[in-house]
Amino acid sequence: MPAIQLAGGIPYYLPRSGLDTLVSTLSEEGYTVLGPRVMDGVISFQPLTSAADLPRGVRDEQGGGSYRLVDGDPELCFQYVVGPDGPKRYTLPPVLQLFSVRPEPDYYAMEHGPPSPPKLAFLGIRPCEVAALAVQDRVFAARETGGFRCEADSYYQQTRDSALVIAVNCTHPGSSCFCASMGTGPVARQGYDVALTELRGGFVVQCGSPRGTTLFERLPVREPSSAELELAELRLEQAAARMGRRLEAEGLPEALERAVEHPHWDEVAKRCLGCGNCTMVCPTCFCSTVSDATELTSKVTTRTRDWESCYTHQFSYTTAGPVRHSIRARHRHWVTHKLSGFVAQFGTSGCVGCGRCITWCPAAIDITEEAAAIRGDAQWAAAATAARKEVAA
Amino acid sequence: MNLAIAARPEPICGSETMLPVPVRILDMHPENFNTRTVQVQIVDEGLRQRYRWVPGQFNMIYVPGIGEAAISISSDPDQHEAVGHTIRLVGSVTRAIERIGKGGMVGLRGPFGRGWPLDRLHSGDVILIGGGIGLAPLRPVVYWLLKHRDRFRRVMLLFGCRTPEDRLFVPELEKWDEDPRIDTLVTVDNATGEWVGPVGVVTKLLQRIRINADRTTAFVCGPRMLNRAAAWSLEQLNVRSERVFISLERNMNCGFGQCGHCQYGSKFVCKDGPVFALSEIADIFAKEEV
Repeated sequence: MPAIQLAGGIPYYLPRSGLDTLVSTLSEEGYTVLGPRVMDGVISFQPLTSAADLPRGVRDEQGGGSYRLVDGDPELCFQYVVGPDGPKRYTLPPVLQLFSVRPEPDYYAMEHGPPSPPKLAFLGIRPCEVAALAVQDRVFAARETGGFRCEADSYYQQTRDSALVIAVNCTHPGSSCFCASMGTGPVARQGYDVALTELRGGFVVQCGSPRGTTLFERLPVREPSSAELELAELRLEQAAARMGRRLEAEGLPEALERAVEHPHWDEVAKRCLGCGNCTMVCPTCFCSTVSDATELTSKVTTRTRDWESCYTHQFSYTTAGPVRHSIRARHRHWVTHKLSGFVAQFGTSGCVGCGRCITWCPAAIDITEEAAAIRGDAQWAAAATAARKEVAA
Repeated sequence: MNLAIAARPEPICGSETMLPVPVRILDMHPENFNTRTVQVQIVDEGLRQRYRWVPGQFNMIYVPGIGEAAISISSDPDQHEAVGHTIRLVGSVTRAIERIGKGGMVGLRGPFGRGWPLDRLHSGDVILIGGGIGLAPLRPVVYWLLKHRDRFRRVMLLFGCRTPEDRLFVPELEKWDEDPRIDTLVTVDNATGEWVGPVGVVTKLLQRIRINADRTTAFVCGPRMLNRAAAWSLEQLNVRSERVFISLERNMNCGFGQCGHCQYGSKFVCKDGPVFALSEIADIFAKEEV
């Protein structure tokens, strides 16, 4: 029996021809269907009108600072790894209008509120992205801030509540991937409505919620054969063994917490350009900046919330200047927050092992190598602890 | 010890989370050449009645077309008709607030954050150490302490700024100087004009008073270097780090831990702070660019 087993209730089998019915059924139910499609030389997460939009026969080759689309098996739609974007683009839009106001003699009048949250179906997101959504759920959960209405992002909450998650388990991990060591893949374990595993003729379907079951019962599904089930499990087992990278998370948050002054940060800072690509492709990065734009003629001011990167100077700017003025500090902040701060703040690592920050870093900086360097440097850690004890005494 | 969970007043906002409510500027009092105390009144009466805050908390003040800034509340916590904010005219928002002036309107969201731990003050000595505009969030504490003065032994206020002209709340500093219930000491970095008082950094004032480390609680708010120097001096005087509280300044956008700007180590200064016990941040407090 394969080491990886599909979870959930009774599985179905959806022949490849059923994908079109899936997309049209979702559209009929009022969902905006979002899925992978080839755009601008990458596999981007975009609105789909039919299954023909899926990246059939296309595969991606990824590595440190490198991403290329190449020809793949003409039968398969989901043989890529992950593109630079994902569902975060829709739950936490890069630019979200918060409101616009028109000046009145005394104050200002509300012109428009935020857009109403869309009803989205995420088709074909990876287990690492399902896990990333769960991380962001914790960030934007109202309970984290005491449950006050004025401290909760209702757009995120409503978009998430209505969104349907159809995950596709990963059978083709890339060289930047390490979801197996983060426990987030290659098989989706929770947080999905439906999880598919792609075979040459179709998909093994696992339903993770009543909503998912209701949907797929209306599709041309049948019971999978034992050979199909076994093949799916074998594919996933092979995928788990083919992870390009590995990250040892045990003890890492504590090691990073102690490593503020670790000399390794100086080494990475020499290579880091401070461009912020890693933060733009990271599926859990949530930082934003709110800003106003006023139209010259109408004087209507629109307030938007835009994605922000902690690699910029203005991110930490106060009247005394930016708090983190060196690239060393900004890069340290990102890595430390991702792998350590998230744990303290939200009870989960901020890294899901998707490998995007490695692929899209123009300097090919590798978060797994850095984590290993800091974590593995036991000598430095011991010296730092001793020094702290000395100060305390 | 989780202080963040302690009950705090519910913040107000408009129909949307990030939409400020209109407030009218009732008064704009010049404290010195570049500092104003702005009294604002929440226009909606229902919200005004409901609005509560505790010393050490801050509001996000909004000027349409310009932006929002986090400003700590500097008025008397028992005064509900208006809320005071002491601003230094150094940024686009603070300058715009001054331009709008008395009688005009701005927006407000808040209050946010965790204030000074007044509920955890024991019947000992209280030292307030403020530097420059850092005196603003300490002023509500002075009002509160004077109202509950019989609960404490000594109450001391140490304030330092660049020059005598940089002092704020001057009439009150003079009043408190006369008041036997509070020992007020003011120092300046550069003595100009007719200044005959102490000269030097505010921590030097600690040498002028007798500290009983076992029963002292200190509240500190000032620029980064002052906070650090004060923490260090208090540590030398054996005041326990659990009883030294520091209010920090960071870039803030949302006020409730979702925009990421104010992170300090794994803390969000906006919701876990801005007031921290030194013991909570001891690991990173002396480190650069955290």
